[in-house]
Amino acid sequence: MKKLLTLTAMCLVAIASVAQEKADILVSYECVSPNKMMKPVTSRMSLLASTTKAKWFNDLSLWVDSLKSTPEGKAQYMEILKKSCMTVEPDGSTTWDLSKGPSKKVYTYVFTNLADNGVTLYGKFGEDQGFYTEPIDEMNWTIVEDSTTTILGYECIMAKSDYHGRQWKAWFTPEIPIPFGPWKLRGLPGLILKADADGGFSFVATGLERTDRIITPLYLQEDYSKVDRLKALDNAEYYMNNEENIMNAQGQSVKIYMLDDNGNKIEVPKYDGLKHSIEPDYKIKNE
Amino acid sequence: MMNRLIFILAFVWATLTVAAQVNVSGVIVEEGSNEPLTGASVILRNAEGKIKKYATSDVKGRFSISTPEIKGYTLDVSMMSFAKQTVKLDSVQLPVKIIMEASATMLKEVAVKADRIREQGDTITYTVGSFAQAQDRSIGDVLKRMPGIDVSNAGKIQYQGEDINKFYIEGSDLLGGKYGIATNGINHDDVGAVEVMENHQPMQVLSGISFSDKAAINLKLKNKAKATWTFHGDAGGGYSWQPDGAVWDGELFAMAVMPGFQNITTLKTNNIGEDLSASATDFFASSRATGLSRYVSVSLPGVPNLSRKRTLFNHSALVSTNSLWKVKNGEFKAQIDYSFNRVTAQAANITTYFLESGDRVITENRDGRDRSHSLSGKFIYEVNQKTTFINNTLSTNIDWDDVRLGVTGSLPNDQSAKLPDYYVANKFKMIKRFNGKHLVTFQSNNEWESLPQTLNVSLDGSTLSQHIGDHAFYTHESAAYAFSIKGVTVSLEGGVKGYLRSLNTELPDMPEEIPGETENVLNTNYFTVYATPKFEYWVKRVNFTLNAPVSFAHYTFDKAIANRSEVYFSPSLSMNWKPNNRFSMTLRGGTGRSPMNLNMIQPGYIMTNYRTFKQGVDDFYNSTSQNISASFAYKHTRRGVFANAMVMQSWSHLPYTMAQQLYGDYIVYSYTDAKSEGQNLMAMGSVGKTLDFMRGSANVNGSFNRGESHLFSENNAVNSVSLGWSVGAKINGTPMKWLSFDYRIDFSKSQLRMNGVKNSWLCDMENSLLINIMPHSKWEWRIMGEHYRNELTSGTYKNVFLLDTKLVYKLNKRIELSAMLNNIFNQRTYNYTTYSQLSSFESQRWLRGRELLFTISLRK
Repeated sequence: MKKLLTLTAMCLVAIASVAQEKADILVSYECVSPNKMMKPVTSRMSLLASTTKAKWFNDLSLWVDSLKSTPEGKAQYMEILKKSCMTVEPDGSTTWDLSKGPSKKVYTYVFTNLADNGVTLYGKFGEDQGFYTEPIDEMNWTIVEDSTTTILGYECIMAKSDYHGRQWKAWFTPEIPIPFGPWKLRGLPGLILKADADGGFSFVATGLERTDRIITPLYLQEDYSKVDRLKALDNAEYYMNNEENIMNAQGQSVKIYMLDDNGNKIEVPKYDGLKHSIEPDYKIKNE
Repeated sequence: MMNRLIFILAFVWATLTVAAQVNVSGVIVEEGSNEPLTGASVILRNAEGKIKKYATSDVKGRFSISTPEIKGYTLDVSMMSFAKQTVKLDSVQLPVKIIMEASATMLKEVAVKADRIREQGDTITYTVGSFAQAQDRSIGDVLKRMPGIDVSNAGKIQYQGEDINKFYIEGSDLLGGKYGIATNGINHDDVGAVEVMENHQPMQVLSGISFSDKAAINLKLKNKAKATWTFHGDAGGGYSWQPDGAVWDGELFAMAVMPGFQNITTLKTNNIGEDLSASATDFFASSRATGLSRYVSVSLPGVPNLSRKRTLFNHSALVSTNSLWKVKNGEFKAQIDYSFNRVTAQAANITTYFLESGDRVITENRDGRDRSHSLSGKFIYEVNQKTTFINNTLSTNIDWDDVRLGVTGSLPNDQSAKLPDYYVANKFKMIKRFNGKHLVTFQSNNEWESLPQTLNVSLDGSTLSQHIGDHAFYTHESAAYAFSIKGVTVSLEGGVKGYLRSLNTELPDMPEEIPGETENVLNTNYFTVYATPKFEYWVKRVNFTLNAPVSFAHYTFDKAIANRSEVYFSPSLSMNWKPNNRFSMTLRGGTGRSPMNLNMIQPGYIMTNYRTFKQGVDDFYNSTSQNISASFAYKHTRRGVFANAMVMQSWSHLPYTMAQQLYGDYIVYSYTDAKSEGQNLMAMGSVGKTLDFMRGSANVNGSFNRGESHLFSENNAVNSVSLGWSVGAKINGTPMKWLSFDYRIDFSKSQLRMNGVKNSWLCDMENSLLINIMPHSKWEWRIMGEHYRNELTSGTYKNVFLLDTKLVYKLNKRIELSAMLNNIFNQRTYNYTTYSQLSSFESQRWLRGRELLFTISLRK
C-alpha cells in the first residue's frame, strides 16, 4: 500500500513538473523575526506568483538547491564553496569558513496551489527535512477597510486574522489580483505586501516586478518526508534545546556556545516557541 | 398555544432571514474561448464602495458569495492579464456569467533588489541595476557610482586606488588594456552584475605560487545580451553658435558574446568636443623599451582649469574592431583601431609694460591646428591553463601627427611640425609548471621604433628647419625558473638585452644669438646581462616579496663619447598583510642605481619650438633613487563602505642639473655638472559609501603633494618646492521616483616656493550638478550646471558658469529621441587679466558656444 502511495505521489510530482507554469510577478520581501536573544533578524525572501500558484523561497537557497540537484551541478557547487571558503595555509593545511561562501541558510519553501486547494511548506525541523500541507481556506480574514497604507506605491487595505497562535495583520492591494502573500499568508482578494504579527514577526515587500519565470517545482523533493506540523515543530524545539546532548549521544564530543557582543562565550539561551516561533500553536495545544 | 405561536413566529422570522440571504454566484470565463478562469479575484462592495465580502474563482471558474443584501452592491472581478470588470448587482440576473477581456495589467514595478553589493571569497559582486541612474548610458557611467571603484574619463578603472590588472567580459579578456572601449561603449542595461576579483592572478600557472595585489573586473551580462549580437547607435546633428556651423555626434556599437567567439566593434565620430583619441588607449601597455621620445614640442594653447569638452574644437573619428576566437585550448585575438583627430585652438595674449617712456604693448595671437591619425593592430595568441601559459603578441602602431601653429603680433612666426611614429613589436612568453611547484619561463621581446621629426619655423621672413631622425631596436631574451616549498617561492630570472639606437639631427640655420653645435650624429647602444632573484614568502596571511635584480651593462657610443661598463643593483621589498577579508595593507620600499635616459645624450642643440632650444649632456651618468610607500584598503561590503589611503615618498639623486638660459628672445635648456637632489611626497585617500535609502552612493577624497627639485636659471641655482592639496566629494541618488541627481565638488590649492620665497596659495574650485526629472515614464528632462572658480593671482578670481539642458523622449524600449542645448548662455570666451607691479597680462581663450543637438538613439 505504501509503495503504491509513493508511486502515485511520484507520478503526481512528475505531472506537476511537466505542467510548468509561468509566473506573473516576482516580489521580494524583507522578513524580520526575533532570534533567541530576542534581537530582530532580517532575511530576504522572494515570492514568485501567478494567478493560481505561488512559490515562496530564498534566492540563495534556490540557487544552491538547483545546483545540487544534478551531479555536475553538485561538483560545481563544491568547487565554488572551495574557492570561496577554503584557505590554503602556506604549510598546505586548509581551513574552511562557510560564512564566506554561498551556503544555504534558509530552508523554508512554501508552495501554494489553488487547483488542489493546498499550501505546502517544505522546511527543516531540527535535523530532519519535512513537508506538510494545509488547506488554503484555513485563514479567516476580517477586512478593516478604514485602515490603509501605501506600499511600493500601492494602496493597501488592512485585514486581520488569527493564525496558528499569532494575531496577524496584513495589508493587501486589490490592484494586484493575486490571492497570495509572504510565507503561508494567503486568501485575500489581492497581493499581501505587508504583514506583521505580535512577537516581532513581519514581512514587507521591497520590490515587485513583472516576470515570465517558470514556477519550477521543488528541487531534491525526495529529501523531504511528510510530517505532522504540530509534532514537527515540537520536535524541532526539543532538538534545538538539546542539540549538544543529541550530538554527544551520537558519539561526537561538542560544546555549543554563543558569543555575546563583547566576544565572551555565553550559554545558548533556550528556544521557546511562544517567543521564537512564528507558529506557537503547538505550545498552546500541548499545555 | 403561546409556545406554538412563538415557535411559528420564530420559524417565519427564520425563513424571512434565510430568504434575505442572497447567494451571489457565477462563473468567470475568458472572452472568445469561453474557457473558465481559475484564480480570478471577486470582491463584493456595498453602495459606498466598501469591501463586504470576497472570493476567488475555482478550477471551473465558479465563485459563490452569500450576503444579506445586494442593493446598490457591485462586484469587482479582476485577474492578472485581464481587464477589470465591475458588475452592478441590481441590474443582473444571478448567477452571473462574467466574460474577461485580455488586457495587460499595468504594474507599478519597483525593481526586485538583489543585495547591491555581495561578497563571496575574494569576489565582490555589484548589482548594476541597483547603482544605475536614469541619466546613465554606458557601464562606465554606473561603475563610477560603485563605491570602491573609480573610472577616469577615458574609461580607466581603479579599484581601491589601484589600477585593475584585467578586464573580462563573461570571463574572456577580449580587449586587453583597451577596455575603455567597453566601459564607454557597453550599455549598462546589458550588464547584470560587475564582479571585482581581488588579488587576481591572471596567469593560472602562477596561482598559488605568485601573489598579486591587483584586482580584475568581470562583466556578467544579462541573458538577453548573451549568445547574440547587441547593437546600439546614436545619430545626432545640430547647430553650434561657436564654432559657427553644423555639429554632429554619432556612434555605432556592436557586441557579440558567444561561447566560442566575442566581438566588439565601434564607430564614433563627432565635432562637439569629445576627444576620441583616448578611447582606444591601452591601459596595460608597459612603456616601450625602445625608449624614444619626441624632442619637438609644439602644442596648441589650452584653457586652464576648464573641462576639455568645453574648450575642444575638434573633428574626430574612431573605428575599432576587436575579435576573440576560442581555438582548441587557447584563444586568438585580433584588435584593429584607427582614429582621426583634428583639433584647432586659438589664444590671444596682450602684455602691457607700464614704462616711464610710455606703455609698451606686446600682443600675441596664436592660431593652431593639430591633425593626427593613428592606426594600430594587435594579434594575440594565448593559452592560459593550470600547467601552461603561452602568449605571443604582435603589435604595430603607426601614428601621424601634423601640427601647425601660427603666431601673429609682436613676434610673428609660423611653426609646422610633422611627427610620425612607426612601431612594431613582438612579445612572446611561455610558462610551464611541473610537479605542481616548479615553473620554467621563457621570454623573447623584440621592438623596433622610428620617430622622425621635422619642425619648420618661419620668423621674420627667414625659415629655420629642424630635422631629427631617431631609430631604435631592442631585443630581450630571458629564461626563468621558480619553485615553491612550504610557502616560499624562489625564482631566478636571467637574460640578455640588446639595444641599438641612432640619432641624427640637423638645423642648418641657427639664430646668431646662440653659440654652439647644431648637429648630432650619435649611436647609443648597450648590451646587458642580468639576473633577477626573487623570493616570495607566505606566512599567516602575510606575503613578503624581495626582488634583487643585478645587471652588467656595456654602453657603446660610437666614439661620440667614451664607452662605459656598469653594474647595477636595485633591490626592492614589499609586504602585503591581509588579516581578514575587510582589511589589507601593503608596504613597499626600494633603492637602486640606474642609467640615465639615453635621449639626454645630445651635445648639439635641437630646436624644440620657435622659442626653445635644448642641449643634452655630453657624458654618460648614472642616477640613484629610493622610494618607500604604504597603502591600506578597507571594505565592508554589507554596509557598502570602501576606503583606501596611500602615502609615498621618493628621493632622487642626479649628478647633473637642468639649466635655463635666455639668449635674446630665446630660451635654451641644457644640463650642468652639478648635483641635483629631488624629492617627492604624495598622499591620497578616498572613502565611498552606498546610500541605499535613495539608491545612490557618495565618495569623499583628498590628496596632498609636495615636490622639490633643482634648476639653474640664468646661472642662479633655484630650489623650487611645489605644494598642493585637494579635496573632493561626490554624491548621487534617486531620492524620489521622478528625480535623480549627480553632484560633485572639487577644491584644490597650490603654491610654488622658489629659493624660500613663497608665492601665495592659489585655489581652484569646481562644482557640477545634474538634475534629471522623470515626470513620466517616457520623458526625461535634464539640467546640468557647471561652475568654475579659479584664483588667477592672490585674491583675484575668475568665475565661469555654464548651463546645459537635455530633453529625452523614449518612444519605446528601442528608440529614444533627445534634444540637447549646451551652454545656454552662449559663453564664448574665457578672458582674464592679471596685474603685476610693472605689467598687466590679458589673455583671451575661446569656449565652445551654444550648441543645439538633436539625437536619435536606437538599440537592439
